[in-house]
Amino acid sequence: MRKLFVYLRDYRRESVLGPLFKLLEATLELIVPLVVASVIDRGIVGADRGHAVRMSLVLVLLGFVGLLFSVTAQYFAAKASVGFVTKLRSVLFRHIQRFSYRTLDDVGVSTLITRMTADMNQVQTGLNLTLRLLLRSPFVVFGAMVMAFTVDRRAALWFVGVIPALSVVVFGVMLVSIPLYKKTQGKLDRVLGRTRETLSGVRVLRAFGKEESEIDAFRGENDALTSMQKYVGRISALMNPLTYILLNLAVIGLLHSGAVRVQAGVLTQGAVVALYNYMSQILVELVKLANLIINITKSVACGKRIRAVLDVSAGETVCADLPQGDPAYRVEFRGVGLRYNETGDPALQGVDLCVRPGETVGVIGGTGSGKTTLVNLVPRFYEASEGQVFVDGRDVRVFQPDELRRRIGVVPQKAVLFAGSIRDNLLWGNERASDGELLEAVAAAQAQDVLSVKGGLDGVIEPSARNLSGGQRQRLTIARALVRRPEILILDDSASALDFATDAALRTALRSLSYHPTVFIVSQRTSSLQHADRIVVLDEGRVAGIGTHDALLKECAVYREIYDSQFRKEAEA
Amino acid sequence: MKKTRVKAERGTLKKVLLYIRPYWFHVIVSVLLSALTVALTLYIPVLVGRVIDHVVGAGKVDYESVIKLLVRIGVVAVGTALLQWIVTSVNNRVTYHVVRDVRDEAFCRLQILPLSYLDKHPAGEIVSRVITDVDQFADGLLLGFSQLFTGGATILGTVGFMIAIRPTIAAVVIVLTPLSFVAARFIATHTYRYFQAQSETRAEQTALVEEMLTNQKVVKAFSQEENAAARFDEINGRLQKTSLKAVFFSSLTNPTTRFVNNVVYALVALTGAIICIATAGTAAPFTVGCLSAFLSYANQYTKPFNEISGVVSELQNALACASRIFDLIGQPPQKPDDVDAVVLQDVRGSVELRDVAFSYLPDKPLIEDLNLSVQPGQRIAIVGPTGCGKTTLINLLMRFYDADAGEIRVDGEDIRCLTRRSLRAGYGMVLQDTWLRSGTIRENLSLGKPDATQDEIVAACRAAHAHGFICRLPQGYDTVIGEDGGSLSQGQKQLLCIARIMLCLPPMLILDEATSSIDTRTEAHIQQAFHAMMTGRTTFIVAHRLSTVREADMILVMRDGRVVETGTHKELLRKNGFYAKLYNSQFAT
Repeated sequence: MRKLFVYLRDYRRESVLGPLFKLLEATLELIVPLVVASVIDRGIVGADRGHAVRMSLVLVLLGFVGLLFSVTAQYFAAKASVGFVTKLRSVLFRHIQRFSYRTLDDVGVSTLITRMTADMNQVQTGLNLTLRLLLRSPFVVFGAMVMAFTVDRRAALWFVGVIPALSVVVFGVMLVSIPLYKKTQGKLDRVLGRTRETLSGVRVLRAFGKEESEIDAFRGENDALTSMQKYVGRISALMNPLTYILLNLAVIGLLHSGAVRVQAGVLTQGAVVALYNYMSQILVELVKLANLIINITKSVACGKRIRAVLDVSAGETVCADLPQGDPAYRVEFRGVGLRYNETGDPALQGVDLCVRPGETVGVIGGTGSGKTTLVNLVPRFYEASEGQVFVDGRDVRVFQPDELRRRIGVVPQKAVLFAGSIRDNLLWGNERASDGELLEAVAAAQAQDVLSVKGGLDGVIEPSARNLSGGQRQRLTIARALVRRPEILILDDSASALDFATDAALRTALRSLSYHPTVFIVSQRTSSLQHADRIVVLDEGRVAGIGTHDALLKECAVYREIYDSQFRKEAEA
Repeated sequence: MKKTRVKAERGTLKKVLLYIRPYWFHVIVSVLLSALTVALTLYIPVLVGRVIDHVVGAGKVDYESVIKLLVRIGVVAVGTALLQWIVTSVNNRVTYHVVRDVRDEAFCRLQILPLSYLDKHPAGEIVSRVITDVDQFADGLLLGFSQLFTGGATILGTVGFMIAIRPTIAAVVIVLTPLSFVAARFIATHTYRYFQAQSETRAEQTALVEEMLTNQKVVKAFSQEENAAARFDEINGRLQKTSLKAVFFSSLTNPTTRFVNNVVYALVALTGAIICIATAGTAAPFTVGCLSAFLSYANQYTKPFNEISGVVSELQNALACASRIFDLIGQPPQKPDDVDAVVLQDVRGSVELRDVAFSYLPDKPLIEDLNLSVQPGQRIAIVGPTGCGKTTLINLLMRFYDADAGEIRVDGEDIRCLTRRSLRAGYGMVLQDTWLRSGTIRENLSLGKPDATQDEIVAACRAAHAHGFICRLPQGYDTVIGEDGGSLSQGQKQLLCIARIMLCLPPMLILDEATSSIDTRTEAHIQQAFHAMMTGRTTFIVAHRLSTVREADMILVMRDGRVVETGTHKELLRKNGFYAKLYNSQFAT
């Protein structure tokens, strides 16, 4: 947690002043029983009305000054906690922006979203409460004890006895119940998972006639949750009754020794009332403290999770000196291998490939053969575990990531667009592109009709691009990459939703681009690749062959098999 | 407006009561015991006051009475504590059981709701009703009610005790204390708009975070990190401002009510003292002990007011949650199977569609006058552009949706006269959207045949070319996969879905783009397995890839909900119509 508090630095003043003003307010509250005692002893017993009036005014004054103090404290606490979390959010978001693809895979996006939103809110609440109350409650508890000592030492010993006993009960119950609450949460997650699954798999489950067994399974999980909840509930329900008994025992003791002391003439009646009032204050504060600690525990857990993300190293560093490749090639792979995790099979191994500027390279292979992995190495989305990848003779790791990626246009497998206008999305390719350049890219990507349907460059793209079909999305993502006029264009199976005619038109357009990019096309269709200058055939992470369509048909068994699976039959037809 | 809302709330409340009814005994126990607890809690300050009255000054202490009273305090305290514990436990029991009952019922309803409802409502929304709304409803409504009751009883009890002791001072407390209530309301209503602003900005930020992080890889591919961060910071800055206001102003409630409380306390002390002095030595003196009891009450009295003021808004929220969950539970279920519905057995596999019409939206006809006659064992391919109604046809065959007009017959029986379960068991279905549940690979495979042996499972997986990769997983067939297949690739998930069907081998098959994510080479292997599986089985294949449909006995070419051409591959090519156009475009360069 300490690492997080660095971000509280700008609010150092507020974080000190907030609790300080709270303590001042608490001090005033501790004076109240003494004032009341004085009302009783001098006002009532001494029949001094004037004194009673003056002391009542003192009470009001104490209340008013207390109000001012505590409003001040609330302001500082709010400012510090909101400011802290604002800063933390910004730092975390920027930190995530630096994550490499591998880090993103490891951490998981849904986790990151929860950290950025729900966890942050809980931390804010927790910090706010901490600044306001964490010091105050113990202060009042011990303050009440100290004040009791000023009234009467013997009677105050009851405070010394009851405070540890109360603490044991409060913290004991919490210590037992907090882990149980976590378990309950786990059970709730299972109930939630069941519900989500029965919806996401409704067709399959109904096709298999699983309705009743789903209900049985759900009832099982649900019952488990309920009995866990009742169990935890019974334990945490102990706290209030136990503290109540302890406190009243202390009150009984206090009154008894008070009676003895009054009889001996050491104490006044008002002093006994004051002692009793101090005891009551302790009870109120203990309840508050217990609630506070539950809240803080939650916040600390959230804080730890946030910190864990901050501790993940971003994973993108620029290296200074690495052996150089041949600058005649735009892209060169030299003995490249990659493992996604240390224990698993390599996703790619022993790849050697040289690509000249302007060349079009097809990449084909089975599911999981490493096609996407291969092209992802060029913009350094992943780093090779073995060997080197060069762009223009320089190892991709010596480029600033930004500098490297600006030269490359990527069309990922999943066609993602962002909420906003079509123009906003296309400008991602190049912020300085003119409308003319955007339209040129749109034309090459065969996406003119998308624009005409959606209202031109200003056409609105809804969140998740849900107002576009798969094919429309794909063509716009291609256009976005072309806006960049990239030296290297990577199409990762990005024409899968296009019909054959559009796919063909797209390939023609790409060939006639004036800036002649080096193109990598990943596809499962030989028809999309057969006109490439060269085709790389991958089989379980290894290169099974490199060559033109015709050469591969003759020499490469894997390629022939792929081709046949798609085309043989109509030769017969 | 307000009237209808009140009416709706009353309706919801009635339904809530229905769920509580099975626990009426617990509820009555809880109510009676809470009332008793409140009375005992309030009795203690009185007893303490009496003790104090016996401790007047040096040499004037009445020990005998003091001890008696102290013992009584002890007994009352222990009794109160015991009752408190019982009440809380009983309340918890009622709450958790009602939650369980509501969830069970909601889940059962999910199993019989028509797909038209489930397709129209996002899963996240339904899940949030079953989980979050039920929790909020339980917390707010049941615990809220118990707070409301205890709070109310405490207020009444306190007022009663105070009036019994001294009506004049009671009047001071009764008149002034609601001020703190008013102050709290004032702050709540005036901070509402800050909360509104806060939650709006927060929603905006969450939307951005979700969009950017979900697609972080694209953000990186286009080096938009700075841009995204800048947009984030802009919203973040606005959120800081609105949050500060919301947090600060709402945190004023406590100090303010405490101040009002302090003023009341001071006034009680003052009037109490004056009356004490005035009545000293009279027949009915207002003693220091009475004053002490009054001061305790003055301290406690505001607490239930604060709690109740919170409870009211919580109750409203809880009612809103309850009405959302009841709305789900009250949705009309699909038409249940007829009592005399036939169980489809020994399926031969003839399927006939006669003048079938269907549409999702009444004003947008999709399928019209669809006629089709399929002989047992025939292979029917359905092709056509996106949105032409291919998937809809599957929905009708499986009876996920019922046709609006016309009829579908399997083995001569109208499928509406069959039990859904037996009809669906007749089909093996592999959908484009692969679905796997969290659990082991084995659990997923044996979904359609829970009693399958290991040998049968392995045989099915070998046939589906899934055995190899399953063996490479850390725990083989016992590997636990996360929700929606977790770390498996799309292709691997599809292989598992195919193996799942191969295991139970139903007499008819529906393959919807079944191999779209599998590379063509693996697909060629699977095709052999499919081939064996399809022999003698009526099969419907929906495919984009025309290479997979060439061997069909009949190809249905669909366009805009109509079958525009039918025939074999060769016949259709010869015809040189829409199919030929589709087919030839894949070779165009």
